[in-house]
Amino acid sequence: MITVDKLIFEYPGLRALDDVSFDIVQGSITALVGPNGAGKTTLLRCMAALDQPVSGAINIAGIDVLEQPRDCHRIIGYLSDFFGLYQRLTVRQCLHYVARAQGILEADCAAAIDDVSRRLHIQDRLENSPAELSRGLRQRVAIAQAIIHKPPVVLLDEPASGLDPEARHELAELFLDLQAQGMTLLVSSHILAELEAYCTDMLVLRQGRIVEQVAVKAPSLLKPFKLLLAKPVDNLLRLLQSLPEIKVLNSDYKQQALLQLDGDAAQQHRVLKALIALDLPVCEFAPVSSNLQDAYLQTIRQNS
Amino acid sequence: MNLNPEFERQLILECSQARLIGAPVVLGAVFTFTYFLDDYRLGNITAQAALTLFMLITLLWGTRQSLDSIVEEYRDRTWDTQRLSALGPWQMAWGKLLGSTSMAWYCAGICLLVHALATDNPAALPLLFFYAIGTALLVQSAGLLLGLLAVQRGQLKTGSILILVVVGFIVFMPSLTDLTDTANYLPDNLQISSWYNLTVNAQTLHQISLICALFWCMMGNYRLLAQDLGLRNLPWAWLGFTLFLIVYLGGFIPSSSYSFSLAAFTVCSLLTYSGVLVERHEPMRVKRLLGYWLQANWRRVGEELPLSVLSFALSLPFAIFLSFQEQRFAWLDISLHAYPLAIALLVLRDCAIYLFFCYGKNPQRAFSLSLLSAALLYGILPGLFGAIGMTGVSALFFPLWAGSVFTALACSALQCALILHLLNTRWRQSV
Repeated sequence: MITVDKLIFEYPGLRALDDVSFDIVQGSITALVGPNGAGKTTLLRCMAALDQPVSGAINIAGIDVLEQPRDCHRIIGYLSDFFGLYQRLTVRQCLHYVARAQGILEADCAAAIDDVSRRLHIQDRLENSPAELSRGLRQRVAIAQAIIHKPPVVLLDEPASGLDPEARHELAELFLDLQAQGMTLLVSSHILAELEAYCTDMLVLRQGRIVEQVAVKAPSLLKPFKLLLAKPVDNLLRLLQSLPEIKVLNSDYKQQALLQLDGDAAQQHRVLKALIALDLPVCEFAPVSSNLQDAYLQTIRQNS
Repeated sequence: MNLNPEFERQLILECSQARLIGAPVVLGAVFTFTYFLDDYRLGNITAQAALTLFMLITLLWGTRQSLDSIVEEYRDRTWDTQRLSALGPWQMAWGKLLGSTSMAWYCAGICLLVHALATDNPAALPLLFFYAIGTALLVQSAGLLLGLLAVQRGQLKTGSILILVVVGFIVFMPSLTDLTDTANYLPDNLQISSWYNLTVNAQTLHQISLICALFWCMMGNYRLLAQDLGLRNLPWAWLGFTLFLIVYLGGFIPSSSYSFSLAAFTVCSLLTYSGVLVERHEPMRVKRLLGYWLQANWRRVGEELPLSVLSFALSLPFAIFLSFQEQRFAWLDISLHAYPLAIALLVLRDCAIYLFFCYGKNPQRAFSLSLLSAALLYGILPGLFGAIGMTGVSALFFPLWAGSVFTALACSALQCALILHLLNTRWRQSV
């Protein structure tokens, strides 16, 4: 759905994006994470055709973004970190303007506003000015503006910053809802715990480079399993590799390993039986809950 | 009805019910007062007051509105919302221009109506309306253009830009004031002008010139908005504007290849200065341009090419042609010579000096520093050495003092080489 190829963006004296390449599949929710100044906002702005890179290519749904920026704008929704709301209009007027500016016909605007305001729970705020709303509500209005034309791709820059836990939970539900409708989302954020609730993939950006792209939410049956032994076993890796039904993802320690099973509960039972049969002192064998923060920190450590 | 969304938004902002009712009430009070001054009839004072109010409303208020229609987008950080929309540059240009000034035009319309009722010369009204509306649209359009140029340079305070608008107002006011003397526009009072070999009446030429100026102003708005929306365009509009100015102005000077080339060279040189002053000078743009050049991607080179480079390149053939002409003249009896190629190199030097300051730590001071440099190079230093009899050294700073064309060219080339070297060094440091 999204392909970025060898993207380079420079500010005077600073290379903000350095040979960035990645692919994002349709229907995924990808977390774009990285420390401050890593280039996340610059990358999103380039993808939204708001900034022009020095070189490279960006393709979104078959459209060459750098060649056809206006065509790209029709198929993306973009939430900037400062919302971009008209304070002198009401929320309804803001949404109406954006709907019309995105090419929705006058006759269809009311339905589009009703639909998007219902999904974002702002129906009772339509006659207010954005200036009268809390940060969380303004955030929702800005997201409503970004998705009112039902774009297949939505780019969101720090969508949850400044939101309370309840609003974040609602935001996560909204993103999952958008994903269910076939939209592809790229979300940049510092708050990894919040991304964990809905992201399927993670892109780690550090000093302008993509250092890792990982799937953080594999289908449940492919979830990794953690094996923990009561005491160290010298030839743990060899013993595990002798089992045909598992794939060893990681066994850094003689006492611990990360395994991948591609079967169901019955297979899990068989594997556990085989581990016991190998006389391994198993004290824990359970699916690993995917932890974005761990994955991020592990990636950052490996690349630093 | 599917109105232009930008026009509709501006209408919502400008034309509230209170304003739509309040404006006629206030204007009504003013015209009631002038009605009393006119001995209880709609007479000359009312007509003059209506026309003066029209000028104030359209040229000051209207222009301020058109200027703010773009500057406010940057100030309120909503410009990205517009850039991400599907609106085209033309939709945006006329939506902003007519939408933001809609309330001003509503009031101005009332003033014109009162003037039409009060005037003692109704036959002149169509022409008066044409000039009044055309001039107001031109100044408002220029306001939008100045706003677009200002925001591209990161200038979000409209006060200084408004000074330019006020200057424009003062410049255009006399021609509008003349309109009150409607006898000037009666058919038996036409003046005759010649343009190339055509004999045209001055009034027709004035009208065509006004329409052309409005067209090019809107074209400028269109191209600047297109640029901001990320649309890639070759500089055909700038090229067309340059050719238009050459042909248009060339028609007013004596018809000969020398005078035409002189006009063309002057136009191109002035547009080189204008281009370098109004364009954004990002060091990364030059880097992109060089990248495309190395890739032999000529279309991209054309798109990224600064407009001033295009104007300068256009000026060179005329400079070379003029250099081989016999006509020579001294200016003002102060031993200054017209060496066209040396002048072209001085234009290059001046632009390079401006760019040198633009790539420095305080690009906002580039213009004032360039003016200071110009004062030194054109006046103070040559004057200083000239005063003590060292005219050779004077020519080193201001090559038009030189006695021969080769010395002038050598001095100009030396200055250019030096400043271009400094510019290159500074540019490399900044990327």
